Amino acid sequence: MFAEKYSDEIQAILSKYPPEQRRAAVMPLIYLAQREQMYVTKQAMVEIAEILGISSTDVASIVGFYTLYYDKVGSTYRVQVCTDLPCALRGAEQFLEGLCNNLGIRVGETTPDGAVMVEAVMCLAACDKAPMFQVQSGDGLSYHENQTVESAASLVAELRRKAQSKRRDGHGR
Amino acid sequence: MKMVNLTIDGKTVTVPEGTLIVNAAKKVGIDIPVFCYHPKMEPVGMCRMCLVEIGRPVIDRTTGQVVREDDGSPKMQFGPKLETACTTPVSEGMVVLGTSEKAKAGRQDIIEFLLTSHPLDCPICDKGGECPLQNLTMEFGPGESRYLYDEKMHLAKHVPLGELIYLDRERCIQCGRCVRFQDQVVDDPVIGFFQRGRSLEIVTYSEPGFDSVFSGNTTDICPVGALTTTDFRFKARPWELRSAASICTQCPVGCNIAFNTRREAVSGGKWVIKRVMPRQNEWVNEIWMCDKGRFGYHYSKSAERLTQPLVRRQGELAPATWEEALSFVAERFQQAGDGLFSIAGGRLSNEDLYNQGKLTDSLGGKKVLYGTMGGGDLTAQSGLVPGSNFSDMGKETAILVVASDLHEEAPIWWLRVKQAAERGAQLIVANPRPTRLDAYATHLVRYPYGSEAGALLAMVNTLSAKRPDLPEAVANLVRSPELKAAAKAFAEAENAVILYGSEGTGLETSTALAQSCQNLLLATGHIGRINNGLVAVWQRVNDQGAWELGWRPVANLPEAMQAARALYVAAADPAGDDPAYLAEGRLGSQEQAFLVVQDLFLTATARLADVVLPVQAWTEREGSYTSGERRVQRFYPVVPELADSYADFSVAGQIGKRLGLDMEIRLAGRTFARLASETPAFTGLSYARLAEVVEQWPIVGRGDLYYGGTTYENSQGIGVQLPLTSAGGLSWPKLVEVGMPKIGLLAVPITRLYDHGSTLLPSSMLHQRIPEPYVVLNDQDAERLKISEGAAIQLIPAEGGSWLGVRAIARLRSDVPERIVLVPRSFGLPVAGPTVVSVRLAERVLA
Ligand code: SF4
Ligand code: SF4
Ligand code: FES
Ligand code: FES
Repeated sequence: MFAEKYSDEIQAILSKYPPEQRRAAVMPLIYLAQREQMYVTKQAMVEIAEILGISSTDVASIVGFYTLYYDKVGSTYRVQVCTDLPCALRGAEQFLEGLCNNLGIRVGETTPDGAVMVEAVMCLAACDKAPMFQVQSGDGLSYHENQTVESAASLVAELRRKAQSKRRDGHGR
Repeated sequence: MKMVNLTIDGKTVTVPEGTLIVNAAKKVGIDIPVFCYHPKMEPVGMCRMCLVEIGRPVIDRTTGQVVREDDGSPKMQFGPKLETACTTPVSEGMVVLGTSEKAKAGRQDIIEFLLTSHPLDCPICDKGGECPLQNLTMEFGPGESRYLYDEKMHLAKHVPLGELIYLDRERCIQCGRCVRFQDQVVDDPVIGFFQRGRSLEIVTYSEPGFDSVFSGNTTDICPVGALTTTDFRFKARPWELRSAASICTQCPVGCNIAFNTRREAVSGGKWVIKRVMPRQNEWVNEIWMCDKGRFGYHYSKSAERLTQPLVRRQGELAPATWEEALSFVAERFQQAGDGLFSIAGGRLSNEDLYNQGKLTDSLGGKKVLYGTMGGGDLTAQSGLVPGSNFSDMGKETAILVVASDLHEEAPIWWLRVKQAAERGAQLIVANPRPTRLDAYATHLVRYPYGSEAGALLAMVNTLSAKRPDLPEAVANLVRSPELKAAAKAFAEAENAVILYGSEGTGLETSTALAQSCQNLLLATGHIGRINNGLVAVWQRVNDQGAWELGWRPVANLPEAMQAARALYVAAADPAGDDPAYLAEGRLGSQEQAFLVVQDLFLTATARLADVVLPVQAWTEREGSYTSGERRVQRFYPVVPELADSYADFSVAGQIGKRLGLDMEIRLAGRTFARLASETPAFTGLSYARLAEVVEQWPIVGRGDLYYGGTTYENSQGIGVQLPLTSAGGLSWPKLVEVGMPKIGLLAVPITRLYDHGSTLLPSSMLHQRIPEPYVVLNDQDAERLKISEGAAIQLIPAEGGSWLGVRAIARLRSDVPERIVLVPRSFGLPVAGPTVVSVRLAERVLA
């Protein structure tokens, strides 16, 4: 299914690697498989394994190792707030709490419409611009620095609208 | 090899350069605790349990000399930090301190860390009592933890990784041994790490879960109770167990194993087998075994076992005393005289085969080995000589595996051949279809089914001036560059070994193949030296032993049986395997000869017998087997014998006694002594010789289970490899032309590990891995014949035959040659060799 649907993209990715090292394409392929639904299905892992000639357990291990890959249904957008020490010193924890209160959810939870999940993560290399977070979706990552609860809340509202229209267009969650 | 001197905890050690500190210490009896290190795998330094203090002599940079203290001793410099003994190789003058305060404190800290997320549920843990973590905690642990109990990580405790192995995620200490074993040792990377840090979990994504025939080994090397087998989980505590040395009976490798038993109330106070563990034999199975051996032993304790002799009275089999049964048999055998026809299966021990043979020979009868493989006389002439060991094979060796799906036929040989290839051996895989060994091959040779002997002769042809005529099917092969390159590599290697199996062969083709193999060895001078020679991948544990003792298969057994006046069938079930025995062999007919069946079970043949004689399982008695490498190995009684029961050799002996023959009926050891005195290859052997052991490396199974795992140390015999009988001369085999039929398909037998054998089926835990009867077709053929994947089909032999009733599921594959049907042995379709068939779906004839 995955292999069929994305055969062109897959070929494009594979062409970047020497054939005898095609297993190196595992990361971009997982990324591709995650694009639509923001998680990698077991079926997709099996197909990736087949394409690359490795075991599906090996593919799953990579999905498991990296925090930006998911093997379960989550939200359309993931708001990842850095709460590591330097950010914490610039008030990241209060910021996170404020944002959650504003959305009526707890850290690690998803808004009822399934659009946005808020997570606490480790250093994202923007320590001097805290409070900061990144938003992950099928489209990729975007950085949002020097945030306030208000600026973040309005961004989240925007994301929820987008998620809704995405769903209407028939994309996954 | 350069040797290096160092001291470890005050002891001086001299070891080869490159030795790891942990192993150097082990050699002088010093135990450095480890978790992630395992002597059969590359070090990774993941767990830090092996921390030691290391001092190195200070070298003066200008002079290059060792700097000395005032008293003349070398000045030592100790590193600021502890180092891992499992990743650090020794160096000259090194001083290792494993028991200093600093080293001890290091270990204590590591244990404390490991236990922060460990449930410490030892009282209900199957590993408790033989657990490295438990033992090392007792020895080096701090006794108290500073971590908060409430902050322990809680994870799933009963995770089936497939139906054979259970995982307790909380107990895992993330040493990675299991994952590395599956990946590096057996190349089945079907379990892996998921997540990281404290959240790390072992997962499997294969279908079925943990899809590897070596999975049980991970439970031996897991240093905690995280991985356990379904067979043993919650069944007993290690300290209640006794152990007895035995040999696996499931294939010709002859893995050394230990049975663990316990006398228990739940079994009515009887001694019962609780599990099977590998037993070290670095010449045979090292410290591993496969899952068929580990879980397939249950037949020995099946409730279906026969318990008393049966004699046919008024048409019905009825219980009888031994006296009645044996006297009756003796009387009828006497009458039959040279019309006695003995059929024995290769799962009988040397002693059984010897006594049954003796009895048969004395009457002038005929001895027939039940089976479809030939060449056991040739493996005796040109087999591996004593001292040969797959572990010693590397760059200088060529290994040719022909007509064998070795992974299915003999998993441990597959593993050892693969590892030899990884050490640089030339691996030539010659088979008509791809197998799992192909991935490690340096040379691949494909030949048509039925032409295996021809393919090997073609190799000889490209090498030698003596040119045997080649059959048409392989005439082209001689010109193939792959074959030429393979032949060249084989000829040029210093040492060369051939393993031939029974992929697609019947007795005739197999005999020709064995002869071609011998020709190739002779032509290239690869006989009579260590790590050279011919090995047959037999279908039974003791087929080689049977050949050594003069038993031979016959070409057309059903027909040959017709001359019999009395049939003595032991450990074989012809009537159950092939209806031809009913028709041509007259079994079950009016003209059936007097039939005695000696077996564990009431087989189809036994149901037709005049007398049925029960026997002891190999776990209830002593004996010996001769492996495919011609290693004679002893097995010992594991559980008490059943009341009023006898071993096969004793039953045969008791019949013989009644005929006035001088035969041993009590002791297997004495039977063996007689056998040895009469059989040249066995000259000088005794049970005492077979029980001899030598020090093996790595040292396993002693107090330090954390090092090698729970594999048993070999204290009851590594066995003895038989010397070659006499090297035969070059004589070209009679080739059987097996061409493609004009119409129809060619059905060929193949071997599957998890089969329908009567010695496997009673192990219900393996049933999910044992498929329904099936055949494999080429997908193009299937399309032409309109057979879809999973369709029920029947095979109709072109020459007629009576297996119409047998149905099988069609599986389609593109890597099966066209117009070939692969028929796994023992699944009910009695394809004994290449056979022309047509396939039919439902009621319609298709091809
Ligand atoms: S399951 Fe056992 S062998 Fe595997 S990583 Fe965990 S502790 Fe080590
Ligand atoms: S490889 Fe053969 S002898 Fe060894 S455990 Fe498996 S079946 Fe038994
Ligand atoms: S600590 Fe938050 S971005 Fe570095
Ligand atoms: S780090 Fe040496 S045993 Fe694990």
